Amino acid sequence: MLMENMGLCLDDRPDEGVFRVHRRVFTDPEIFELEQKYIFERTWIFLTIESQLPNPGDFITTWIGRTPILVTRDAKGKLNAFSNVCRHKGSVVQRADKGNAKYHVCNYHGWAYDPTGKIVDVKEHKAGQYSPAFDAAEHNLEPLAKLESYNGIVFGSMSPNVPPLDEYLGEIRFFLDLVMEQGPKGMEFVPGRAAYTFQANWKMQMDNGLDSYHLGSTHASFADVIQRRRKGEGHQEARQYDWTERFRGTGGSFSFKHGHSAIWSRPNEPFKRPIFPSIEEVKKRVGTLKADWMLHGRNTIIFPNFQTADSTALLMRQFRPLSVNQTEMRVWCLAPIGEAREQRSWRLRQFEDFFNPSGFATPDDSAVYEDCHTGAAGSGFDYLDGYGRGMMVQEKGANDVAQSIGINPVTSIQGPFEQSSETWHHPPHREWRRMMEAGLAGKEPY
Amino acid sequence: MERQETALKSERQETALKSERQEIALKTGAAENVVIGAAEQAWLDQGVDLLKREGMYLDLRRWDDWLSLFHEECEFWAPMWRSEDEMNDDPHMELSHLYYGNRKGLADRIIRIRGGRSPATSPMPRTSHLVGNVVALDTPAENRLRLHSSWTTQVFFPRQKLQHAYFGISEHLLERVDGQWRIMKKRVALQNDYIPSMLDVYCI
Repeated sequence: MLMENMGLCLDDRPDEGVFRVHRRVFTDPEIFELEQKYIFERTWIFLTIESQLPNPGDFITTWIGRTPILVTRDAKGKLNAFSNVCRHKGSVVQRADKGNAKYHVCNYHGWAYDPTGKIVDVKEHKAGQYSPAFDAAEHNLEPLAKLESYNGIVFGSMSPNVPPLDEYLGEIRFFLDLVMEQGPKGMEFVPGRAAYTFQANWKMQMDNGLDSYHLGSTHASFADVIQRRRKGEGHQEARQYDWTERFRGTGGSFSFKHGHSAIWSRPNEPFKRPIFPSIEEVKKRVGTLKADWMLHGRNTIIFPNFQTADSTALLMRQFRPLSVNQTEMRVWCLAPIGEAREQRSWRLRQFEDFFNPSGFATPDDSAVYEDCHTGAAGSGFDYLDGYGRGMMVQEKGANDVAQSIGINPVTSIQGPFEQSSETWHHPPHREWRRMMEAGLAGKEPY
Repeated sequence: MERQETALKSERQETALKSERQEIALKTGAAENVVIGAAEQAWLDQGVDLLKREGMYLDLRRWDDWLSLFHEECEFWAPMWRSEDEMNDDPHMELSHLYYGNRKGLADRIIRIRGGRSPATSPMPRTSHLVGNVVALDTPAENRLRLHSSWTTQVFFPRQKLQHAYFGISEHLLERVDGQWRIMKKRVALQNDYIPSMLDVYCI
């Protein structure tokens, strides 16, 4: 039924105050296949940040959906991105996560490519007695259709029919600036591979990255630990925030075009942030307004599978669907390049405490996603009611907070933090349906 | 083309050499010049016994007994891997799975385990620790032991009815304080760092 009418995936009737998502959106293997084709292979996907590849020859490998991707910096300093697949027999060419290479040599038959993707060696070419047709054809690594950066964040698209990256990101760029401009020499990923999986659909993470409603219940155990730490016990080095205070504060959200959302909360114990000792330098460089907003709590979703957060520690995360019920998470702790040791250590302890798969919060998130997936996979009622909070306080366009920071969102919300609106999940789901419907109708999404 | 091929050849050789050089930066490996006489063997046996108790207390959920094996000023450090071949070696500049500069952080883990309010921890996973291949890295002394070990922890998750084997190697620095052996430093290399949903102190 859903496959014939993608419209049924969402029960979206804004005038009647209804927004519900069909459970099968999370559990249907056919929908998963279509997502790969009509979403992941047709829009901008986060690849890396530029500072991961500072020098000629540097490379990283990553994924767009199910396609392995190689990103390189060539001898001229230009970034390139390719399908990381040998043109000869289809083997993955570069198998390392990250490194520096003059050539990317396939392990199977030794075909070699340079960092511009050009084939430089078909091994034993002369002895191979190839046809003129073979020699006339091009055998370079297949480049991504689009590759662009915004403020050091690199995105790629397998489809050429996407809007320019600036336009795709639109007004949420303000929030990406707040992430990327914290350090005077730029930002870097702190070394360390934080990769884990959960047995649930990727869209659980898409929703939860901006879900403040779950904090008090899913993370009750974390709250207990924090409570005790306030009495001087436990892991003091993590300098955790007082969540009770945070719940008493003010916050809000913005929804943007192309499926993006951002949520924010007023600065809560700003002196606990590792950039706080450098805040004067930050103010001088980016201005008082931006510096102040760097001390606000902020989470974003860049549709479909990239998020930033700066609530307990600054991070980027990407969640990659492996199958309808399995997702791979990569989480990066972001820090100013050249950060002083004391601040770096402080940042690390905050990050590890909350966001590691060995932390006090993330494993509980993964556990509830898994429970949700198990629940949603069954039969029974069709639509989930988890998208209704805050529907009565949404303002069209820019509220005064948006105006004060000079952005023009589609909708705005401001209110007590504990209001925990769920309207900020609406843009990704609406964009999801729009792209799926376009795909099924045989149309390009943009 | 020929020049290119030579360059490629040397690139391939370089890669091969590089991987030969790589060692797991845990500073483990049997130390040279370790002398083990009867007295040293007795101290070493005591250290091995402590390592076994560490696993046993976790398996039996005797959390206080487990915690008491650690000195109040202990360092507990499970660095993350930096790449496929290299581990992080500075807990203040690079990420760790777990890093505690004293025992108080480990006490937090027990609050979480006992509280029953963590969805990932209830129902409580069941574990079975095996520790072996214990090698003295320095000549055992009456009050000080530095030990390498390998370990595997089988974990059954009753919630999902799934199981996973976490495994790795560890280095312990043990000191005898007031007549009791205590863990002063524990460094853990988690070899399979592609983690299914969660990792906690009782998984390693």
